[in-house]
Amino acid sequence: MIDLKLEQLTFEYDDHQLFEGLNFQLQPGTFGLLTGPSGCGKSTMLKLLAGLLPQYGGTITSGQATLNGLPLGKIVPFQRASKVAMLFQHPSRQFALATVREQVSFALANLQMEKAALEKRVSQTLEWLGISHLADRQVHTLSGGEQQRAALACVLAMDSGVILLDEPFANVDAPGRQQLLADLKRLQAERGKTILLADHDLNGYRGVADRWYQLSKQHRLSVSSVNDLPTTTPIAPVKRQQLQTGRLSASHLRVTVGSRVLIDDGQLVIPQGQLGLLSGDNGAGKSTLFATLSRQHNYDGQLLFDQQPARRFPLKKWALTIGWVFQNSTDQLIAIKAADELAASRAHSLRPEYWTEQRCKQAAQQLGIADCLDQVSYQLSGGQQKKLQILSMLVMAQPVMLLDEPFAGLDADSLRVVIRLLKQVAGELQVGMLIISHQRVGVVDWLDYEVRLANHHLTLLEGDDHND
Amino acid sequence: MITMTKTRGLNPTTLVLIIVSIGLCTSFIRSVALNVAVIIGSLMYLLFLRVPFKKTIIILLVALPLALGSWLSFYFFGTEDRWHVAWIYGSRVYAYLTLALTLTLTTSAKMILLSLHQHLKLPNTFVYGVLAALNMFHRLKSAFRQVRYSAMLRGQAYHLWQPRFYLRLIIIALNWSGDLAMAMTSQGFTEGADRTELVSEHLPWWQYLLVVVLLVAYLWLALDNCPW
Repeated sequence: MIDLKLEQLTFEYDDHQLFEGLNFQLQPGTFGLLTGPSGCGKSTMLKLLAGLLPQYGGTITSGQATLNGLPLGKIVPFQRASKVAMLFQHPSRQFALATVREQVSFALANLQMEKAALEKRVSQTLEWLGISHLADRQVHTLSGGEQQRAALACVLAMDSGVILLDEPFANVDAPGRQQLLADLKRLQAERGKTILLADHDLNGYRGVADRWYQLSKQHRLSVSSVNDLPTTTPIAPVKRQQLQTGRLSASHLRVTVGSRVLIDDGQLVIPQGQLGLLSGDNGAGKSTLFATLSRQHNYDGQLLFDQQPARRFPLKKWALTIGWVFQNSTDQLIAIKAADELAASRAHSLRPEYWTEQRCKQAAQQLGIADCLDQVSYQLSGGQQKKLQILSMLVMAQPVMLLDEPFAGLDADSLRVVIRLLKQVAGELQVGMLIISHQRVGVVDWLDYEVRLANHHLTLLEGDDHND
Repeated sequence: MITMTKTRGLNPTTLVLIIVSIGLCTSFIRSVALNVAVIIGSLMYLLFLRVPFKKTIIILLVALPLALGSWLSFYFFGTEDRWHVAWIYGSRVYAYLTLALTLTLTTSAKMILLSLHQHLKLPNTFVYGVLAALNMFHRLKSAFRQVRYSAMLRGQAYHLWQPRFYLRLIIIALNWSGDLAMAMTSQGFTEGADRTELVSEHLPWWQYLLVVVLLVAYLWLALDNCPW
């Protein structure tokens, strides 16, 4: 039996206290779900349980994390791995070697398993998971879901009793997510594994998870009843408004990833001066649609701006026509200091007469980032980075803007300020904005329409009668 | 499984030893004849192992401007014995190149690293660190694209000669390497600890002897009566 716990643990990251007196004990044989808003410390808590922190950053100032009574930090990785192992958010960053078989062998060799037994274990594990056909494939040719299953094979081969998963579906499509969830459930039922999975999305866990832990924005841990997990999320509807004409339109759009069709015969118009929601399941292809509209992904069909085919625009010009606010803030940053980030946008803004220095300053103040502009962008908190990123892109003022999860990691107050700013800029500069957002509460009231991507089709929802 | 397919020709470790020792000597000894001997010897080894002919020729052609550049600069800007010195430096480029080709065209990075670990005790942290970096290399291409695009979105162009372009790439690579290090630790990789050696290949004693013989022969020729 594995006894893994955090006892009165206080943990600091860069002089910033994340947990204070945190207590947690993993119940053996359970499937636990850990949820909470971005930045609440889900990932940190899992890494503490896996013994990866404080080895890779931060300090435990009091209390301890223990495995069977021993402090985790005192156990060497090759002994720890056969008890506790972890799956990470970015599937592809878990592989040091080129093929699945090599990677699983690598993990077992770390545990000093004898060679003949090792080879047998590798084959058995891959067979158990039903991925023997992937054994000798190059890891980088696998999909996100397949990569996570390969990473799971490593954990399973090492026979770790506890499997920790940090947002494992973030880069996995819907079928991949279902497959992986089924694997995990089977591991719990047939092999008695203890599972703790962090996710910000509660869907699909009713009947799967048997423990539900919630971390609050203030980093407090509480236990909730799994009966309160949503069967299906109650959807706050977008009230459809009278739509204006759009400058960007797509018709007969066909988008594929490898051999998989994401969008077939898609129609889309993005009305100017309004805010729309692009909804759809995880992995339906929402971000890929943004990549397509930005011409960062291949497509068939017609994409027009002001009746001109997109392909007639040089890419440089297109980037100044369709703005894309990335999901990951740091991907968007181009300068080192936060102030330079805004200055860079102002220097090349398409609407310099609107974005005066005065207005930029005012917006930064509203967003609460005016005081941290002299800092290095990479050292800002996740929420500050997000707000800096959004403001930098708004200042660019492309006529059409695509925003991928712009509210992730923002608290309620920041969210209100951000969406008010979006609405204001969209209206005053007649910018057409399309937003991907998991979060609906506090968002939908500001939006004008909703486009849903499901079953390879884009549908403009009918507003009230559809949603009520 | 990390096992080695039977290597053709000499063991990678032997080749590394030859390259390091002869290569080091080549950089001190000023002899066109010995450089040419190294080039001919290396090319014969490659020919013997039947490495792809076209690829070899292309590599040799690509190096031509470098060799020519060396030759020209010593010929025009040298101070004494310019003709001889120009040929020394011109042929040296090819001596280094062909010497290195005996390793790179006949084996893979993975084999070299694992062989060096087994026979010369290269630490595992280094071996798997480099392997991981090589396996991530193809992903750099998409990162490269993303960085350029993020600049375009802001009305700027990143060019290959701009340091800030590389700064962005380095930051991305640092993120990757941090994540990978954690994943490897989670999979039980422990610095300095024993692991099961999945690869074991035999390095016959005569190959060590060969390294010594080649080195002694080279030095004897060079020091006894250095040929032109």
